Amino acid sequence: MKKITRQSLSNRIVHALTATSIFALFFTGFGQMPVYKRYMLTEVPGFAWAGDYSITLWWHYFFGVILIGVGMYHVVYHLMRKEFDIIPKRGDLKDSWLVIKAMISGKEEPPSEKYLPEQRLGYAFIAFWIVVMVLTGIIKAIKNVNGYNFGPEVLFWAAHIHNLGFFMLILGVAGHLAAFLFKPNRQLLPGMLWGKVCACYVKFRHSLWEKGKNEADKVLSKLGGEDEACKDFKH
Amino acid sequence: MTDQSRRQFFKRVGVASGALLLTNEGARAASDPRMRIGSLIDLSLCDGCKADAIPACVSACKEKNQARFPEPQKPIQPYWPRKQYEDWSNERDRIDRLTPYNWTFVEHLQVDGQEIHVPRRCMHCDNPACLNLCPFGTIGKSDTGAVYIDPEFCMGGAKCRDVCPWGIPQRQAGVGLYLKLAPKLGGGGTMYKCDGCADLQAKGKEPACATKCPKNAITFAPMDEIKRLAADRAREINGYMYGLKEGGGTGTVYVSPIPFEKINAAIMAQKNDNNDKRPGRPHMNPNTPDKMEDASTWMMASLIAPIAGVAAAAINVYKSNKGEKK
Repeated sequence: MKKITRQSLSNRIVHALTATSIFALFFTGFGQMPVYKRYMLTEVPGFAWAGDYSITLWWHYFFGVILIGVGMYHVVYHLMRKEFDIIPKRGDLKDSWLVIKAMISGKEEPPSEKYLPEQRLGYAFIAFWIVVMVLTGIIKAIKNVNGYNFGPEVLFWAAHIHNLGFFMLILGVAGHLAAFLFKPNRQLLPGMLWGKVCACYVKFRHSLWEKGKNEADKVLSKLGGEDEACKDFKH
Repeated sequence: MTDQSRRQFFKRVGVASGALLLTNEGARAASDPRMRIGSLIDLSLCDGCKADAIPACVSACKEKNQARFPEPQKPIQPYWPRKQYEDWSNERDRIDRLTPYNWTFVEHLQVDGQEIHVPRRCMHCDNPACLNLCPFGTIGKSDTGAVYIDPEFCMGGAKCRDVCPWGIPQRQAGVGLYLKLAPKLGGGGTMYKCDGCADLQAKGKEPACATKCPKNAITFAPMDEIKRLAADRAREINGYMYGLKEGGGTGTVYVSPIPFEKINAAIMAQKNDNNDKRPGRPHMNPNTPDKMEDASTWMMASLIAPIAGVAAAAINVYKSNKGEKK
């Protein structure tokens, strides 16, 4: 068994809930625009409900609440544990370009920490827009309550920033998923789904990730050392 | 309320609104119930101006808002991939329903052999679903509680009509912002409805329909006063009220000698008999739910969710630290 733990159960649950709620929020949020009826999605068997604003709004609220709770959990959990691997670092933009260039050209890429530099940037981009969406979403949720009125400018800007955020998040998620077009990145998928990645992969690509490297060394030493255990490993 | 005290009230509202605009406090005032103006429509007084070709409230509304009626660019494109579009520009004189060119109309009904006339227009809800759910934030509420649509930014998706408990706003295609964006793909025109003559109310004046009503069947006054007047009148004629609870509460209260179940049934029957499926003839169902009734629950949930997230994180970190120590 050449695998080591890359993502804790807590991280995987957070990621799964975030991904599920964001996709559901995309669908139900887009459903707040008058499009599903016009574009006949409501005529597809099983999707008649998509044209009912009260249903899509209910689910939009529901997944919004999940996202807010999970997001807050994520921030506090990592702050308390002083885990900041995913926070962008100086030079990430340049290093991202070097990693992507290496993946395209097939040349050797620079060593990475637990996360690739473009992963850190991607995280920051998506996290920023999630925060924007949550804040504007909360303004919208409060103004829906009888007796609260923020005035026309606030309503107008909250609506339009929320709509802009929708497109920015789609862009972010598309970029996140597009990473798996590159074969080397696919090794990361089982890490987020089942928590474990190949120790050889860690040694090869994430040699600056101290904890991961140590665990990989332990695992590989039991299998006759890195050279022996990873001789068939292909990146 | 006497005419004099009503005039005094509108004068006060005018001064207060002006001051609020100057101090940019309008948004706060919109939720100030003391500023709320409501209206009472007394169906025992309205005779639909039978002697005239057009009821006075309808002609007053048309006259006042003439300059704001849409002038669509033709030919109008259908709402792709659909083949239809909503165009009322060839029916500008139509007064038997709400259209982009007719923001109030009078239903003429026979109920149990009795004739009744019901002026209809936007109810100006306390918590309007149209305002809350417009995806572009183009619907606002004036300091006096009049709900209005900003025609400059309206995309004409007609969601406001779909979520309105009475389906009030009406759409005209071929006009508005959508023409400058992606006219074939999104948007559908501009939505129009009664704005409670918000400009007149802000100046301390009564809306046009009330000013011109020869029977004094339409009264605008502070909402508390309207509630009192409506209750007194309903008691006086042994009648019924509509609009205080319906749709979560509105700024319009109807008083009628005939139960609203029967009025609603008469509207529905007439529409059914004429196979009238076009929009703009609202029901008068006394069981009209508040489409925003869940909003406070969800707001609380949105505010509690982060607390739950913090608590869960703290518990989990504490547990994992304990586990690591062992």
